[in-house]
Amino acid sequence: MMQRKRFYLTSKGLKDIKKEYEVLKNLRLVKTKGEVPKIWESEDLNPEYLSFQEDLNFLETRIIELENILKNIELIKTPSKKKRDVIELGGTAVVEVEGDKDEFTIVGTLEAKPSLGKISNESPVGMALLGHKVGDEVVVSSPIKTIYKIRKIKYN
Amino acid sequence: MKELVDFFHEVGKLRRIPRRGWVLIGVKKDPASITDHSFRLAIMTWILGKKKRLNFERAVKIALIHDLCELYAGDITPYDYESLPKNKKEWPKLFDSWPRFTKSKKLKNFLKKHKKEKTALTKVTSGLPLELKKEILNLWYDYEKGSTKEARFVRQVNRLETLLQAFEYSKETKKRPFHSWWVGTEEQIDDPFLIKFMEKITEKFYHRPRKKTKKIRK
Repeated sequence: MMQRKRFYLTSKGLKDIKKEYEVLKNLRLVKTKGEVPKIWESEDLNPEYLSFQEDLNFLETRIIELENILKNIELIKTPSKKKRDVIELGGTAVVEVEGDKDEFTIVGTLEAKPSLGKISNESPVGMALLGHKVGDEVVVSSPIKTIYKIRKIKYN
Repeated sequence: MKELVDFFHEVGKLRRIPRRGWVLIGVKKDPASITDHSFRLAIMTWILGKKKRLNFERAVKIALIHDLCELYAGDITPYDYESLPKNKKEWPKLFDSWPRFTKSKKLKNFLKKHKKEKTALTKVTSGLPLELKKEILNLWYDYEKGSTKEARFVRQVNRLETLLQAFEYSKETKKRPFHSWWVGTEEQIDDPFLIKFMEKITEKFYHRPRKKTKKIRK
């Protein structure tokens, strides 16, 4: 049984997942119709066969993974204008941290790209920012206390 | 088979390439190399991933190849995107805070690093049989993009291996706690088990600095 987990995705993220699913399904069709190389019986390394085998197994696993994601999707919706003063999934928080300015868009785990400023709603900082408003000072304390001062909230 | 001998010979050179972060914080004696990092990352991926439903073969392969590109691209840290202080003694102080960039600068940095590393990995794998070359490049693309759960897991463990090494150096030298790795990691990992593990690392290795450290401006 695969773990039941909700996957939060933006409409762009959902479109990408659907596209990948279709491409991989087509690829599986092509690969299974194609000729499978014979297993090498000597002890010599045969990367071509190993890789092909790896590809097919992986392809199958990835298709199952994508099907599980598509079955458990929660689409991120932009909140109504009245509620846009609070940082929620899909929102961007412009913050001041350790004296520097930064900004984070809070997304689901599948779309998180911290190096591009998209952080997961399940990360310690993402979790801490959710539900806060402009002016709030969000403290992420672990042994090291870090304060994120929210300066602005944006929704696309 | 000659192409494999050549490839393994090249991969062996990673033993002599120190990780950039450790050079910047001033580790003088045998700073951990790319090989040291990749080896411990592979072990951590295997063991920490035991409770996950992962394709272990894929996850460990990703861990082993994720930094092969650094053979030619070098190890690029976020601190290298801006000019460093001329005085090397000032470098460790940079690690008191995590470097911050605008959204457009983040994208620019990412694309520049990605392009450089892709070119390097293509060079590293250029002599290999096509299927093997394709496999390594695909694993790396997956790691870069974080498409599969295996890649996302290894990316996070990668942060933890680095955090562990930073704290080990910090405890060894009793100088600085290198806050930046902790702060950066809190923004980058989201696996509940790995978050707990991060706290365990900290319990064992974190220590308060002796003196209050001043943040430096470049």
